[in-house]
Amino acid sequence: MENEIAKLYEFGQIVTIYGKNVLVGLLILVAGLILTRVLIKNFRRLLQRFTGNRPFISTVSTSLHLILVIIVVAQALHYVGVEPIIIRRIFIAITLAAVGLIVLFRPFIPTLPFKVGNTIKTGDLLGKVEATTFLNTRLRTFEGLTVFVPNSKILNDYVINYHFTPTRRIKVDVGIRYDQDLLKAKQVLESIMIEDPRVKTKPRPVVYVLNLTDGCVKLGGRCWVENLKYWVTKCDLVEKVKLRFDREGIVITFPQRDVHLYHETSVAAFPEAEQPRTISIQPDRHATETV
Amino acid sequence: MKVSESLKIIDEGWVRKPKGFRVHFQRLVNSELVTDYVPGEDESPLDSDVVAWRLAWKLFQSTRSDSTETGEDALVNIYVVDDMGNPVRFYGTNQPTVLNKREGVSF
Repeated sequence: MENEIAKLYEFGQIVTIYGKNVLVGLLILVAGLILTRVLIKNFRRLLQRFTGNRPFISTVSTSLHLILVIIVVAQALHYVGVEPIIIRRIFIAITLAAVGLIVLFRPFIPTLPFKVGNTIKTGDLLGKVEATTFLNTRLRTFEGLTVFVPNSKILNDYVINYHFTPTRRIKVDVGIRYDQDLLKAKQVLESIMIEDPRVKTKPRPVVYVLNLTDGCVKLGGRCWVENLKYWVTKCDLVEKVKLRFDREGIVITFPQRDVHLYHETSVAAFPEAEQPRTISIQPDRHATETV
Repeated sequence: MKVSESLKIIDEGWVRKPKGFRVHFQRLVNSELVTDYVPGEDESPLDSDVVAWRLAWKLFQSTRSDSTETGEDALVNIYVVDDMGNPVRFYGTNQPTVLNKREGVSF
């Protein structure tokens, strides 16, 4: 019992001697952290006026925030009574330990395969990365939705990062009827791609005859464009192919089936008078009879 | 001749690839038709003729009038030009096309 009373007395003495300093130190810490937060918020706004580069703003603001927090903590400790040399040593030790741990364990730390500002596809989500935290990634989809995706889900799923390569290949596949001029169609398709300013000259646009299918000769146009211009260029090329093929008289095919009806008597041999009757069936199931 | 040289000849001689497109138009300023472009000549041009023709058509629709007189607000002789200032045929018809045409314009 006496022992405990002695301890309490000792604690009371410490509070008497250092209590005021500890209280003021705590006040400095709390006020400093609040002030730092307000300062960083305004600094971020100020930077946003001058530059729209979000990763740059984020990096600069976070670095400044860290420096200010260290200064505030150092000031608070100093007011409590800790010697400046000790504070300096503590910070140096923490910094060295942090750097050492990062260098040592970096290969084993799972990192997200993208940066803020990249356009990515993960799972069935396609969008622009707005922010990343330790727990989740904020994606803004092209429909304008903000999606918070857990990083664990991203790390366990496939990710397509459209910023890893500066260019992307456009596929313009079109089927033409068998009775159409194949060489002319190839030439028209190639010239449509070459004419477009956004299409890269290297690798050159190419047109392949992909397949001879049941209903058409399948042509495949391939060309390369910058990532950012992919979607609009593809839509423009498809529009131009339709219009240009129409103008050149090249008929683009559509699903259809020819049914040939023969009279029983004329199966053995086709007399000239008994020509087969052809019914062309359109995809919407309206049968048009051509004799 | 090397293949690369032949490809260079093809690139220069077969199909010209414009570097961009602008919408050409004229408007009445002090009773004189003054030529202007969208985007302006000091700005980078549009990289798509489809977009340029769409812009031209919208300008035409926004400023068209049935009057044969050209008003101060009217934009006339609207068409698309390439980076060299040459008129570009409308990609839909491959015909020289001038929207809100007034006298004195020919391709």
